Amino acid sequence: MAGSALRRLMAEYKQLTLNPPEGIIAGPINEENFFEWEALITGPEGTCFEGGVFPAKLVFPSDYPLSPPKMQFTCEMFHPNIYSDGRVCISILHAPGDDPMGYETSAERWSPVQSVEKILLSVVSMLAEPNDESGANVDAAKMWRENRDEFNRIAEKIVRRTLGIPI
Amino acid sequence: MPASVLQRLPMPNLKIYSSVSVLALSACIYYAVQNIKDPKNIIDTENEIEKLGMNNTNSSDGPVRTVTQFLSDVFYLMMRENVCTWTMINMAFCWLILVGRVVQKLVFGELRVSEQQHLKDKFWNFIFYKFIFVFGVINVQYIDEVLLWCSWFAVLGFLHLLSQLCTDRFEYLSFSPTTPIWHHVKLMCLLAAILMLSCFMLLVSVFVGFFGGIHTFAFMSAEVIHLGVRTLHTIIRYGLHLYDLRQEGGMSAANQSEECKVWERRGSIAYYTEMGFELTALIIDLLHHIHMLFWSNIFLSMASLVICMQMRYLFYEIQRKYKKHRNYLWVRNHLEQNYPMATVEELTENSDNCAICWEKMDSARKLPCNHLFHNTCLLSWLEQDTSCPTCRLALNIQSTRRDPVEPPAEVAQPVRRHLSFFHFDGSRYVSWFPSFSVEINHSNLQRQEPAPATTSQLEAMARQVQTLFPHLTTSIIIDDLRVTRSVELTVENVLDGRLVAPHVFRDVDFTSPTSTTYAVASNEPDKERSWHELTATSDNVAENEDSAVIGSRFSKSSTEREQILLKRKEKLLHNARKRYIEKRKQTEHVHSQS
Ligand SMILES: [Zn+2]
Ligand SMILES: [Zn+2]
Repeated sequence: MAGSALRRLMAEYKQLTLNPPEGIIAGPINEENFFEWEALITGPEGTCFEGGVFPAKLVFPSDYPLSPPKMQFTCEMFHPNIYSDGRVCISILHAPGDDPMGYETSAERWSPVQSVEKILLSVVSMLAEPNDESGANVDAAKMWRENRDEFNRIAEKIVRRTLGIPI
Repeated sequence: MPASVLQRLPMPNLKIYSSVSVLALSACIYYAVQNIKDPKNIIDTENEIEKLGMNNTNSSDGPVRTVTQFLSDVFYLMMRENVCTWTMINMAFCWLILVGRVVQKLVFGELRVSEQQHLKDKFWNFIFYKFIFVFGVINVQYIDEVLLWCSWFAVLGFLHLLSQLCTDRFEYLSFSPTTPIWHHVKLMCLLAAILMLSCFMLLVSVFVGFFGGIHTFAFMSAEVIHLGVRTLHTIIRYGLHLYDLRQEGGMSAANQSEECKVWERRGSIAYYTEMGFELTALIIDLLHHIHMLFWSNIFLSMASLVICMQMRYLFYEIQRKYKKHRNYLWVRNHLEQNYPMATVEELTENSDNCAICWEKMDSARKLPCNHLFHNTCLLSWLEQDTSCPTCRLALNIQSTRRDPVEPPAEVAQPVRRHLSFFHFDGSRYVSWFPSFSVEINHSNLQRQEPAPATTSQLEAMARQVQTLFPHLTTSIIIDDLRVTRSVELTVENVLDGRLVAPHVFRDVDFTSPTSTTYAVASNEPDKERSWHELTATSDNVAENEDSAVIGSRFSKSSTEREQILLKRKEKLLHNARKRYIEKRKQTEHVHSQS
C-alpha cells in the first residue's frame, strides 16, 4: 500500500529535516516521486574519507518499510563494501530473506524499525570501518588490507573530486 | 492478459493514419457520388432500393427529400461496394482512436514513457488474443460476423486500454503526496465512465445473447465482467488511497479515537477487497479460457495451445494467491491466539509511536518481548518474516506452520510477478511445425530481441535515465535501451549493476554558484593565492545563501521543501569545501614552518 509508505516517508523526511544528523542531508529531489531520494553524506572525521561530501540515491519500494530501499552512490567510490557502480553492500539493506553473502545473521538485516537515518548512519560507519570480508569491491578490499597508503591516496582523490577541488 | 508476442510492431503514426483514412473515405464518397450521377446507376440503385422496400416515396418534402435520398443513395452504394465498406469501417476505427487520443489529452496529458510502453504491449497482446479467438476459437465463417466481432472487440479493447492507463496513472500518482485534487477527480470520472460503459456493454451482450445463444453471451459477458471488475478494483483502491491521504492531513482530537478504530479495521478491509477483486478477475478469466478451450473443439490446434498456456499462467496466479491467503490467515490466527492486545496502562506507559508506521498507537498488540505494534502493521510484517522487528526475537510461527512459506522476497516484491517464458519449438516434433515464443508478463523484456526503435525516442528515454544516473554516459544508456526498450527496465538494470559506469570521473555539477567560482579559481597558477580566492569567493556565496531562508523547518508546500532541501545541500557542500581548504592551508603552513 503506497499510502502508508508515503506517510512513513513523509514522517522520516520531516524528522531528517528538523533534526538532521551531523553532516547528513536526505530528501526527495522531486516530490512528484516521493519514493526516490537523494542523500549527501559527509565523510567521517579522522578517516581517509574525511571531509568529502558523497551524493547517493535511495529508491524505496512501494511496500516500504516492509522491504528495504536500494542505495547507490552517484559519485565515484572506492571502498571494499561498495560495488564499482556505486551500490552499497551493507547487511541492513538486505531483505530478511535474501542473503547474497551467505554469512549474515538475520539480526543484522532489514526490519521496519530501521529508517533512512539509521541506514545513512551505518553507511557513515561503514565508510569509517570497511568490512573487508564482504567482497563488493575485491580490489578495494585487497588494497585496504595490503596497501593502506595507496588506498588513502585514492580516497583523498575521491574526496577532492566530490568537493570540486583540483588534485 | 499479460502476454506479449515476440515480434512487437511499432505503433503506426496517428497523423498519417487518420489523414490516409480521411483521404480514402473522401475518395470513396467521390466515387459513390460520381456513380450516382451516372444515370444508369441511378436506375439500378433505385430498383434495388425499391425491391428492398427502403424507398419511402410517400414523403413529399421537395428539397429535403432529395438531399436525404441522395445521401442514403450514396450510403447504400458505398455499402454495396466492398472497398468502400472497408474504408468506412476503417474510418470508424480511426474515429475511435481519435476519441481515445482526445480523452488521453484531457485526462492524462503527456503519457510517461513506461505508460506508452505498457499501452503498446497491451494493444498488441489484445490484438493477438482476439485474432486467435475470432479465427481459432469461434471459427467465424462469414465476413459479417467477423465485422461484428471486430467492432465489439474494438470497443472492448479501447475500454481495456483506457482502464489500464488509469491504473498505471493511479499507481504513479500514489507515489506523490502533493498531487493536485483535480487530477484525482479527472481520473475518477474516467474510471466511473469506463465502469458505466462496461455495464452498458453487459446489457448489449445480454441482448445479443437472446439471438446468438448462451455461448455467445458467455463469451461476450465474461470479458465485459472482467473489465468491470478490474475497473471497480482500481476505483476502490483509489478510494482507499485517497482516504489514507486524507487521514494524514488533519486528524482532529475529537474524532481521533474513532478514526483509529476504522484504521485498525481498514487493514483487513483493504486486504479482503484486494484479495477478492484479484481472485474474481482471475477466476473469471480462467473460466472464460476453459470455455474457449471446450468450445474450440479442435483440441490440437495452435489456438488451444495458446489458450492452455494462458490458463496455466492464470492457474499458477490463483494458486499463488491462495497460498498467500493461507499464510495470511495462519499468521493472523497465530497473532490473535498467542499475543494479547496491550492494555490501556501499557499503552500509556509506552508513549512511543508504532515502530513500523511511526504513527500513534491507540490500540496495539504485545509481543512476548513486550514490544508493541499496531495489529495491522505487525501482521503485514509477520507475513514475510517471523521475528520481532525491534529486538529480532524469533517468534514461534515458523515451526508450527504446516507448510513452508513462500520465500519472503516474493512477498516483498509483488511487482515482480511470476514469469513464465514459453517457447514452442515445433520443429522438434515435425519439421514443418512453426516455432514461436510467447512471453507471459512483459516485465522480462531483456531477453527479447531488440526491435528497432527510432533514435529520437531512444534519446528521449536516455535523457530520462540520465537525470537519475548522471554518472552514466548517454551511449551506454542508449545501448542498454536498445535492448530493453523501456526506461524502467534500464533503470532496474543500472540498479542491479548490469550496467556498469565507465571509470571516468564525473564532473562535479552541483549547479551551485560555488562550482563556477571554483572554475575561475583553478585557473590561477599560484596555489596559495587560489586557496585564498576560493575561500573569499565562497564566503560571498555563503552570505547570499544565508540571506535566503534556510532554517531547519519543515515547510508545508512541496516546492518550498524542494528548494530548502537544495539550499541545505549547497550549504553543506560549501561548508565542507571551506573546511577542507582551511585545513589544507593549515597543514601547508605547518609544513612550510618546519
Ligand atoms: Zn503501525
Ligand atoms: Zn521485541
